[in-house]
Amino acid sequence: MARAWLLLAVYSIGLFLALEVMLVPAVLYWPDFAENVDNLKAVAPLPMLRALIDEMDFGGAYAYLVGQHFFKACNTVGTAAAVLFAAGAIAGEAHRNTLELFLARPFSRTRLLTERFLLGLAALVVPIVLSTLTIVPLADHVGEVLEYEPLLLSAAHQCSLLSAVYALVFFLSTRATNPMPLAVGMIFVTSLMFAIYVVEGVSQYSLYRLTDIHDFMRIDATRSLDWRVVGPLLGVSAAFYLASVQSFRRRLPN
Amino acid sequence: MNAVRSVEGIGVRSLTRDFGALRAVDDVSFDVEPGSVVGLLGPNGSGKSTLLRMLLGLVSPTEGSASIGGRTLAGDGVDVRRRATFMPGEVALYGELTGRVHLAWLVRGRDREARARAVALADEFELPLRRRVRTYSHGMKRQLLFAAALAPDVPVRILDEPTEGLDPTKRAAVLEHVRADAARGRAVLFSSHHLGEVERACDDVLFLRAGRLLSRTEAARITARAKRTARVVWDERPRTLEAALAKARVEEFTFEDGRLHAVLDEADPRASLERLIALLPVPRSLRYGDFSLSELYRAFYGEEGV
Repeated sequence: MARAWLLLAVYSIGLFLALEVMLVPAVLYWPDFAENVDNLKAVAPLPMLRALIDEMDFGGAYAYLVGQHFFKACNTVGTAAAVLFAAGAIAGEAHRNTLELFLARPFSRTRLLTERFLLGLAALVVPIVLSTLTIVPLADHVGEVLEYEPLLLSAAHQCSLLSAVYALVFFLSTRATNPMPLAVGMIFVTSLMFAIYVVEGVSQYSLYRLTDIHDFMRIDATRSLDWRVVGPLLGVSAAFYLASVQSFRRRLPN
Repeated sequence: MNAVRSVEGIGVRSLTRDFGALRAVDDVSFDVEPGSVVGLLGPNGSGKSTLLRMLLGLVSPTEGSASIGGRTLAGDGVDVRRRATFMPGEVALYGELTGRVHLAWLVRGRDREARARAVALADEFELPLRRRVRTYSHGMKRQLLFAAALAPDVPVRILDEPTEGLDPTKRAAVLEHVRADAARGRAVLFSSHHLGEVERACDDVLFLRAGRLLSRTEAARITARAKRTARVVWDERPRTLEAALAKARVEEFTFEDGRLHAVLDEADPRASLERLIALLPVPRSLRYGDFSLSELYRAFYGEEGV
């Protein structure tokens, strides 16, 4: 467990710092953004980007900040973290030949797998929630008053998508022997998903339609989670977790 | 398929494992009683590691059953892993951890005193527990694994090549610990390539070839054959060698580079050996009747043991 906690701490701190590095300049840029929004729209190269800027302009500081933090930072860095945390979970043990040692301890495979799954998920979710909590004091620094409730609900919404990605890659990790090709492949796929979001005509096929500014604005308006989106995403996470348990039961130690 | 009798040691009945068309372990049955050390010998690819992994539930058997420390192998094997410790043959550790933290990780889930005993053993081996494991030599890593395998209070130990890569002093210390552990009533199954140490540490030896366990009866027969073996060395070939061999009762022999290797055809072949030597010049050296596992190994596998 000590090793898992050590990794959890390193991963969590790394992800938190990466999110803050993206968030702090974005918050500080807000007054300039508000002042120059028309110019930004004029230079935006794609119609979808202009629409995004329009939404930020219309929604004010809240829309701008959830766009920066969730849509931009969490959907990119968060997804990469989800892929990296999950890819190494079991395939990493196989690749470094420690899987036999990992399995030979006096615990059931389901327990070993569940511990690993939950620790990785915590390493993903905790930094996102913590960095979300820093938005309110940062926004206050530039004269904007935001509430914690819609931001935390938005964080939960965002985490439901990332947990589904995490669970999918975790399942693939129980079947793989090398985490690198798995991680590189999944980061390629998710990057492609993010890229097609801004391409008009195919944008609706992007996974990130589930976590765009529309969704976070709706959360702000209703002060509740959209279970039509969150429910299926959590269901997908649970399904891939159960598939991982089944797959891991048959896993050979080398 | 015979049902396994639940014993405090190790009981194996008709254990078989197929990997596709390859039968890695084929109908293996044996027992290891509490208080005894049993060696498992076999060349690479003979199925030793697969057999040991099956006993711990790490690989599920295609057929057969096993009992470890009174628990029958079932499900994912967690019940048997609670009653046994395992030292893997593969020395792959988490290099980023210190020796002390790694030991704690290895004995997690064991009895409360296991950690203290593991640290005491590691101290006895003079392992630098404050250093990261990535700075350890191969032998130090193996000793760390051995300390973790020997510390918990369980009835069964399964050790896969525990002395591989150790210097002679450390090897002797490990074997001494294995013997002492068995003397405290534990059943120890011990796989090795080192025939001399198996001879030294084990009460009994199992030979595995192509996944099949050669019977102990066969081992006993070949042991007896080794005890009837004489090795005689002359500086030059004795002119009366053939005549002497004809008069002495020699079952078979080879002569090469001044060295005679003869198997004497008697249950107690001292008289035959005396007759043979009396008819020949005084040899430079003579060895007779020592128990040589490498000869057994060669007899089984047709190759020299390590």
